[in-house]
Amino acid sequence: MAAVLSFKRVCKRYPNGVCALNDVSFEVLSGEFVSVIGPSGSGKSTLLRAANALIPISSGSVYAGGERISDLRGSRLRSARRGIGMIFQNYNLVYQLSVLQNTLHGRLGYMGALSALLGLYSESDKIAALELLDELGLADFAYSRASDLSGGQKQRVGIARAVMQEPRLLLCDEPIASLDPSSSKTIMELLRSLAKKRGIACIVNLHQLDAARRYSDRIIGLSHGRIVFDGTPQMLDAAATERIYGTACENLMTGGSDVPENSATLP
Amino acid sequence: MSRKIPLLSPDLRRLYALFLGAVLLLFVIATALTGFTPALFFGQSGEIWKFLSEDFLPPRLPESGRIQVIAEAFLTTLAMAMASTTAAALLAFVMALFGSERISPYPKAARFVRGFATFLRNIPTLVWAFILFSSLGIGTGVGFTALLITSFAFMTRAFIETMEDVSSDCVESLLAAGASFPERVVHAVLPAGLSGFISWYLYCIEVNIRASTIVGMVGGGGIGLVLFSYIKTFHYGIACSIILMVAAMVIIVDQISGRIRKEILK
Repeated sequence: MAAVLSFKRVCKRYPNGVCALNDVSFEVLSGEFVSVIGPSGSGKSTLLRAANALIPISSGSVYAGGERISDLRGSRLRSARRGIGMIFQNYNLVYQLSVLQNTLHGRLGYMGALSALLGLYSESDKIAALELLDELGLADFAYSRASDLSGGQKQRVGIARAVMQEPRLLLCDEPIASLDPSSSKTIMELLRSLAKKRGIACIVNLHQLDAARRYSDRIIGLSHGRIVFDGTPQMLDAAATERIYGTACENLMTGGSDVPENSATLP
Repeated sequence: MSRKIPLLSPDLRRLYALFLGAVLLLFVIATALTGFTPALFFGQSGEIWKFLSEDFLPPRLPESGRIQVIAEAFLTTLAMAMASTTAAALLAFVMALFGSERISPYPKAARFVRGFATFLRNIPTLVWAFILFSSLGIGTGVGFTALLITSFAFMTRAFIETMEDVSSDCVESLLAAGASFPERVVHAVLPAGLSGFISWYLYCIEVNIRASTIVGMVGGGGIGLVLFSYIKTFHYGIACSIILMVAAMVIIVDQISGRIRKEILK
């Protein structure tokens, strides 16, 4: 299978001297569901934002869709970005607009300058958006103001907007960090099923170890900007978890009864 | 239990005491420097009161032929405030887009945009009026331009804050979706910040209605100029009624715009 994203020896040093990514290399294959875990400040957010060049990297290369995305500028960068959907912890919707309008924002990157500026979306885009909202259980909310939705619903609009981009890759920045346990489960399941159905690769930053284990094909562990673990959920044992978080497993809230020592017995 | 338990830490108490002492000291120094003594004010309060009660009061109506001129001057002042604020708001919106690191397509230049706005804002409207008056001569053009410059600078700053408060998140999401800068402005910055922009705009109209009277007095035209000419020719009674009408106008506009702002921000 082809790689949809590859990092080659990527480093990111912020002007304040913090080294957020240090010699990071990995590939994400088409349709793969990858979780990225690691303590706060380990570089998870920077990694995601380097993938679509929202943050410029200091050295190394990021390839997405066959292009070195870190080199692109202007319209070529925009067309590379539209092939990569992004989902945010704080949903990042325009709350004054309707759910449908927010969903259609995913099409802006495909439209001509004038029609995009005036918000003249094509009828086929509108139909696709309504169908997608229906699939996400938001059919009755298409004309609600985004600000009137609950957290879980807002995140589903965020997913709809990203999927409208018809991406090869979804970048999800802590998509369930602000949600209650039940909405979190809904969102993770929707993400996984939508992505698998459409063959979209996913990179999900997570703080919830149990969610990472349950939904991922593969887990990447970051610590101080370096990849210290890269393997299947079954391979994430107590020693690996300690390496990522820098502390013994007893000091971590791993969630549920998933005790890392027994990880081999997990599904 | 002979000692009372203090509610503040001793450090904080000392800081408060120091601050109070500094304020008192500054007052004494400033009073000495300006040669002002409270005694002077109270000693001559009779003079001030006599001037107010005998020259200013009661308010007198101007000759009937002048009423139309005065009414027109009022309208001019209102129009000057509205027109300059509106033009300033449009310019400030465009300027503010480039003044925020998180929204501007040229984040490195944002500091200079903000610096420029701060520089303009820190020169008072009245000073701008004097500068322009020397080059343009008396007229509403001077008042309009002076108000435009300061409210443009003020709103640029206010709009930048509004944009960063409400729209940097959704701008990021549209950036990730591959939207161009004009698209991000139309689909994220504008809808997300609109109520904030309108609220600042209305506030600025309130401020400018007051300011346009003062700017008028130094050559900006409108009711300020009419008022000043009555004062200079010792028609204090008529000046008094104009002052009362200015106050009424300001109060009415404040009430209306205050109500609109409340509705918008709901």
